Amino acid sequence: MMNVKSKINEEQGFLYVVDNLELMSAVGRRRLMEQQWLSSAGEVEEELRRVADAMAVLRDGQYASSVALIRHKLMELHDIVGTLRNLRGGVTLTEVELFEVKHFALLYGDSVRAAADIDCLRFDCRLDGVVALLDPDCTGMANFYIYDSYDARLAPLRRRLKELQMHHEPDPEAMTAVADLFARQDAIQQEVMERLSRQLKPYVDSLGQALEQMAYADVLLAKAGQAIAWGLCRPQVVPSSEPSSMSGLFNPRLRHHNEALQLRYQPVDVAVGSGVCLITGANMAGKTVLLKTVGIAQMMLQFGMYVPAAQACMSLVDDVAFCIGDEQNEMKGLSSFASEIIKISSTLQRARRERLMVLVDEPARTTNPVEGKAIVHAIGLILDRLPSVTLITTHYSQLGLGCRRLRVKGFVEDMVGGELTPQNINRFMDYSLVADDSDEVPHEALRIAAILGCDEEMIAQALGFVG
Amino acid sequence: MPFVNDILNHHSISIVGLEKNTGKTVCLNYILRRLNDLGVSTAVTSIGVDGEQTDSVYATAKPEITLYEGMRFITSERHYLQRRLVSEIVDVDTRRTSLGQLVTAEVLCRGKVILSGAATTKVLSQQIDTFHRQGVRLTIVDGALSRLSLASPTVTEAMILATGAAVSPNLQQLISKTRFVYRLINLEEVSDAARTSLAGATSGLWALDGDGVAHDLDIPSVFLLGTENGDIFRYGDTLFASGAVTDRLLKYLTARPNVRRMVLVVRDFTKLFITPEAFAEYTRRGGRLQVLQRSRLIAVCLNPTSPQGYRLDSREACSQLTEALGTPVYDVMQV
Repeated sequence: MMNVKSKINEEQGFLYVVDNLELMSAVGRRRLMEQQWLSSAGEVEEELRRVADAMAVLRDGQYASSVALIRHKLMELHDIVGTLRNLRGGVTLTEVELFEVKHFALLYGDSVRAAADIDCLRFDCRLDGVVALLDPDCTGMANFYIYDSYDARLAPLRRRLKELQMHHEPDPEAMTAVADLFARQDAIQQEVMERLSRQLKPYVDSLGQALEQMAYADVLLAKAGQAIAWGLCRPQVVPSSEPSSMSGLFNPRLRHHNEALQLRYQPVDVAVGSGVCLITGANMAGKTVLLKTVGIAQMMLQFGMYVPAAQACMSLVDDVAFCIGDEQNEMKGLSSFASEIIKISSTLQRARRERLMVLVDEPARTTNPVEGKAIVHAIGLILDRLPSVTLITTHYSQLGLGCRRLRVKGFVEDMVGGELTPQNINRFMDYSLVADDSDEVPHEALRIAAILGCDEEMIAQALGFVG
Repeated sequence: MPFVNDILNHHSISIVGLEKNTGKTVCLNYILRRLNDLGVSTAVTSIGVDGEQTDSVYATAKPEITLYEGMRFITSERHYLQRRLVSEIVDVDTRRTSLGQLVTAEVLCRGKVILSGAATTKVLSQQIDTFHRQGVRLTIVDGALSRLSLASPTVTEAMILATGAAVSPNLQQLISKTRFVYRLINLEEVSDAARTSLAGATSGLWALDGDGVAHDLDIPSVFLLGTENGDIFRYGDTLFASGAVTDRLLKYLTARPNVRRMVLVVRDFTKLFITPEAFAEYTRRGGRLQVLQRSRLIAVCLNPTSPQGYRLDSREACSQLTEALGTPVYDVMQV
């Protein structure tokens, strides 16, 4: 079962998105982690519509106090899943558990009233019966104990307890009587708790649904809040026969990092469809970031979130498979090449059965270029005839693949003014993508090495070899 | 009604024992009884586990904590369900302890309870703040075993120290050990200017120069102090250790030629884990020890009975301790 929890550690940028959802409750966080991968257009569109409705509520000042109250209630929300499990299983609830049920029922009631005119927050469970059972004196307070009104024997017993303990140092006889009274009280309380647990059991489904509704409200408000704060867009879901196109696509984590350092961040436009698209470009041109960002946007879409772009039309996939970075696993005795090729191989096998988004970053770069190039060629050929959406970055020229190619523009001579340093290099990069018909890749590695201040002799010798 | 009025000048106090079985619980019960008589709105919380019916180390009978109508308390779920009083649950903290969630309740009919609380002083501070906001006039923190950390002035405003025959059945030894802790509690405070300078010194070892400016010596812990750290006195003779201080640092400082001009500042006395011998040698050679913040000691209470059954003469012990400390010492069973 694919859910947020199972995908959260696949890409740091997605973890960043999830960690920055402003959830108010542990229940909301649990609900988010359990959020399933949405695989039908209907499910995705329905969820996006709810997020849109929640955004409209957040933006409309007339709901501000209601939303603040609901958020406050969410902060006070306890996860009573364990208590509900006990209740369902016929276990007698303790006073602490009964308090939690009462606390929740009152809190839910407050939320129902606060959300009365907010359509997107659906609180439609009736817990009045729960409140009536646990608040026999109609105090409206969450406080709880086994009230005198639960059993006619309790009030006189407790009165007697008070009388016997009027003095600081009760005599031994009184102390025995006190102990006896407490024992009798415990027995009566136990009877009451058993009765209450039986009476509450019919409400267990309603309580569970109500808890789920609160959790969902937390997630929905968090998604909507993030979409507003980060300037995310509502993607339009298109059939898999059409390409996904995103304009103004940005990587939230990198963008925020750059903004914090007052560095420029350049969103890009990209379109990808079934088959393979090769991405080429100089080193430091942001090819890996592009792959990751496309993957993050796809995951956000399929978990029913707005995506980090100005505009987006996106088709659905069954999963996003990242083949990025150094997969070296020394603990398993695997080299970086072995780890990578095993991952790619298993992804290919999956891609024959499912429609994946396959993101492969510079495959076979850790082996000899002759075989490396052959491997990339083979991966490209296989994936290009499958329905999966595949992006492959590479530095290999003349692969002979007839697939689509996009090139990151990279260095723009005209933009270079003043001294170029590793710190300001991104100011002179144009990260936008252009269609590229040539089978050649840019050769700017030595230039970048020079900018990075690398060993001059090494660079001079290398230049000599390149000719 | 000794020292109870003094307690009312504070919003929070801690009761700490020099050792187990030094009568903290007796002392707490005495205070709670008096506060009930005075009608003071009171809350009780604790750190770790206390109030067991029998002592877990010596298996001797222990007095239980008696709470009165209107008082609030925090204990773990397990001990809440075992209580022998009538009370109403006011809140349940979702943070779990080894004994379940922490339950806050209000007493409806007096009785006895086992207190077990949060594991950290941070949670304790939050509880004290919450009670204060709810209009509770005084929060009392009962400590577990001989934990002193809750007596830190960053946690509670003032403290009561419990000592007794459990520390030593020999009266002179008892006096000597109690006097040592009493001296640490009453260590001289730094000047306001120095306190301000050191406000940002949250970790490691620091130095104060002649102008009172603080310098980070880039030694993350005093445990890493060695010859390779350069001259730690390059800015002057005043050092500030932000964390725990043990004999090792004191002995290191005692062996330095400038010890007679030296001032070692610690955050508060609860950061000191030093022996009387190391402290005596350091001060004999002229070294001084100061604190950023001094704990306010309200009273010293004495339990003349040890868990092994040995009993000191209460009046004699109180009298000699009072004289040795220069502050009144009470046997609360006698007052």
